[in-house]
Amino acid sequence: MNLILQSKVPNFWAQPFNSQGLWMGVIGGLIVGILLFLGLMFMPAQFRRPVVTFCTFIGGAYWVLLYIFPAPIDLQKTEMPTGPVESIGKWLTDANPVVVSISGTVTAFMLGLGIFSLLSIHLKRISRRQKDWVYSVVLLVSLVSMTFFGYADYISRQGPEGTKLDLQANWGLVNYGRDLLFDGLLQQMDAAMFSVIAFYILSAAYRAFRIRSVEATILLSTALLVILSLMGAVAFIWNGSVQHLANGNDFLLNFQLTEIAGWIRRTFETSSLRGIAFGVGIGALAMGLRIWLSLERTGGGA
Amino acid sequence: MLIAEAVGQQYRETGWFGVLFTAILVSFLLINIQRAKMGKNLYIRRIAGLNAIDEAIGRATEMGRPVLMVPGLSDNVNAIAVQAINIFAYVSRLAARFANPILLCCYNAAVFTLAQEVIRDVYQEEGLLDRFDPDSVRFVSDRQFAFAAGVSGLILREQTAATFFLGEFYAEALIFAETANSIGAIQVASSTEATQTPFFIAACDYVLIGDEFYAASAYLTRQPVLVGSLVGQDWSKLLVIALIVFGTIFNTITVQSKTTKAWDDDNGVYKDVSERQNDPKQSFIQQLATPFLPKMEVERPKDPEAEANK
Amino acid sequence: MQPQKSLGEKLQSLPKQVLYLILIVLTSVPLFFPVKVPNEPLESSIDLYASLMAVKPGETVLLASDWTNSTRGESLGQFNSVMRILMRHNVNVVLYSTGDAQAPRVAQDAIAKLNQERMATGKPEYKRWENFVSVGFFPNGEATVNGMGTSVRASFNGKKDFAPGRGLTDVYESPILKGREKVSDFPLLIVVTGSKTSNITVERLSGKVPIAFAVTGVMGPETGNFYQSQQIVGFASGLKGLYDLEGLMEDGVNTPDKSGNVVVKSSKYGPIPGFPGEKNDGQGRAYYPTLHFAVGLLILAVIIGNVGMFLSRAGGRK
Repeated sequence: MNLILQSKVPNFWAQPFNSQGLWMGVIGGLIVGILLFLGLMFMPAQFRRPVVTFCTFIGGAYWVLLYIFPAPIDLQKTEMPTGPVESIGKWLTDANPVVVSISGTVTAFMLGLGIFSLLSIHLKRISRRQKDWVYSVVLLVSLVSMTFFGYADYISRQGPEGTKLDLQANWGLVNYGRDLLFDGLLQQMDAAMFSVIAFYILSAAYRAFRIRSVEATILLSTALLVILSLMGAVAFIWNGSVQHLANGNDFLLNFQLTEIAGWIRRTFETSSLRGIAFGVGIGALAMGLRIWLSLERTGGGA
Repeated sequence: MLIAEAVGQQYRETGWFGVLFTAILVSFLLINIQRAKMGKNLYIRRIAGLNAIDEAIGRATEMGRPVLMVPGLSDNVNAIAVQAINIFAYVSRLAARFANPILLCCYNAAVFTLAQEVIRDVYQEEGLLDRFDPDSVRFVSDRQFAFAAGVSGLILREQTAATFFLGEFYAEALIFAETANSIGAIQVASSTEATQTPFFIAACDYVLIGDEFYAASAYLTRQPVLVGSLVGQDWSKLLVIALIVFGTIFNTITVQSKTTKAWDDDNGVYKDVSERQNDPKQSFIQQLATPFLPKMEVERPKDPEAEANK
Repeated sequence: MQPQKSLGEKLQSLPKQVLYLILIVLTSVPLFFPVKVPNEPLESSIDLYASLMAVKPGETVLLASDWTNSTRGESLGQFNSVMRILMRHNVNVVLYSTGDAQAPRVAQDAIAKLNQERMATGKPEYKRWENFVSVGFFPNGEATVNGMGTSVRASFNGKKDFAPGRGLTDVYESPILKGREKVSDFPLLIVVTGSKTSNITVERLSGKVPIAFAVTGVMGPETGNFYQSQQIVGFASGLKGLYDLEGLMEDGVNTPDKSGNVVVKSSKYGPIPGFPGEKNDGQGRAYYPTLHFAVGLLILAVIIGNVGMFLSRAGGRK
């Protein structure tokens, strides 16, 4: 389990397997966690915002420090850091897997809350026989069966003989069950939903792409050129015609479809996307800063 | 050793310039937040998609049909998800006042917990907690197309009159948009993924492009912190433009010109060569932004435990 | 009685079901009558192929497989082509995913099928543990890739894969990962994705390791930004990119075919061989003609809609 980092070479965040240091870390962490949990539960309401602000700041501060604090230069595994700056830099770097593991674990626990929401809504619908309650039964049966077969398949692949299950001839019931549910149903339905987009693109294009203004005309003609360049047969015919007409004239060769489309991509497309990316990036930085410093009041108060 | 300590590994790779640039952007944001708090009136241009929110909710109230909100497909509670939830808090506030039912479909369980708390708080602040239905904020699925199927089904069954798709959207964007379009719902959408914006533009009534999404909370609430931050973002964009112009000029001069020096990686010095065109990777701008200085030998004591476990 | 619609109005209001039916028919036809379409590969595809072929045999590359069956129309073909090149070139692969929990399973299933194909032609099996390891899925992609920039070993700490006869074993005990602690120890990092994990990777690892992408068509324009600024060494975009790759695997670059013709020319590279006579065709060859029909129908639908609009306007003015 990654959260309890085990390492042959101990550092602040990781200790050798089954060592005293590791167990002390586990028990200590558990005690601190329980105390924190109880403290938060019984905390007066007026202290909640400062605590949330503090925790948010500490959480973000790690990533900021990791970004700006000088990391030891080319530190090898067998070397020790020299001086306080290198020691702190190494401490921050060593903490990275731990922090990543913590966030992954919290995310996984959050999934439990999501499943609780699903169960709450759909069980209520089934018990009250509300409209389309049968589909709620289907959902819950799918949830349970996928969990069962998926986990059972995973368990069956543990151990030294697990690699034999790479061959279908060695499969048992749970392996077939997982294959049916995962590869046979889920993957195909995923692919089918994605394929639906092709139809929607067609109907959206037919409905929306109208030459109502000069800008729309430019947009449509540019899009047409780029789309045609994706069609190898069209590009082959167009390019061949231009090469024949150009007869060695380098300037005229610029009017090949691949050249025109490439020029559109290199100039208009790239610069527009870059502009949007800069704006979105700066916006994300601003948003992140406001959240980190708790300047953001979630709630959209008007 | 002092120099080695002071100049960290990351600065030898990506340079100090990136950190300095980020620090300047951060200072722009903080300065303008302070300016806004001091009462300075800062201008934000009209954004059609955000003006349409009131209209959309009004329409939904008249038709007696719910409002659907999707805060995108963020894998974690990130800036995009929080921003989307903030906007939906505003939408929910209006919907609560008009007793209009809402549906907020979440892709990520963490976003779901945040959304549930925020929306409940909104109803509580309005003194309308009895109107809040906990099932209106729901986790649908964390599989992209299962989520798309679930939300599309909700749109069709509930016959939503207004839909808001704001956040991170990928391929499923068009599925939502076309489904809502097929029932005549008014749609306001925005995707931080620039590649999905064209699909929203084709199918939705109002689209927020690029960082209009981030401007939304400032535009709607006019909180000084948010407006100041928005102006700070604009200052940052001006700085980026200036750097692009500066970088283009500098790169053109250095890359197009000729040189008689070449960097010798093995010895860490410039050596004489016959005249040749400058290597783009050696240009001033490239060296400023991403120097990737060669490896430096640093003398350090050995760790006996690590040596033993090698 | 409803007034009869003019021709222009009819053209603007064709039933969606009719369009969908025509699309189904048109996209099905090429599947039964496969056609080899002439094609000129894009420079980005040639660069990707050259980068893959430049990896020396016996080296180990990182491969982020962030696609699932929802994008298999493009991504499966791209993954298969990339893996075929690496397998034939005896390059080892470290497989990981930051995009989707299903992705590692889907990638392993694809490798199993490729292995069957290899063994059917008498080639040795591309073995788990000795030729490739699957590190697994990392839920927090941004933090993980950030960590990889500092130390791949630390990021992969605790991850296990199936070693023959030993069951789940730390991946760093595999021979292919020995001595590869940092991302710069790998000659290439390839990302096959249908989501933003390509952006996440290039934002954090650009310059530290050569990066190549195989992305879906929709991601192509955005990825072009990174290619133009030389933050990535090459990429294949969508079905066109896949078809380019398959063609390059067949024809090589600056390499004459049996009749002495050089099919793909590039002034950037010397001769880069293909794999003529081996199975290079896949989804690209199967679906590329379909793309022509689908796009052709799209263009026709847009033309019909606009013609209808102009006719309606003209009729209204009368």
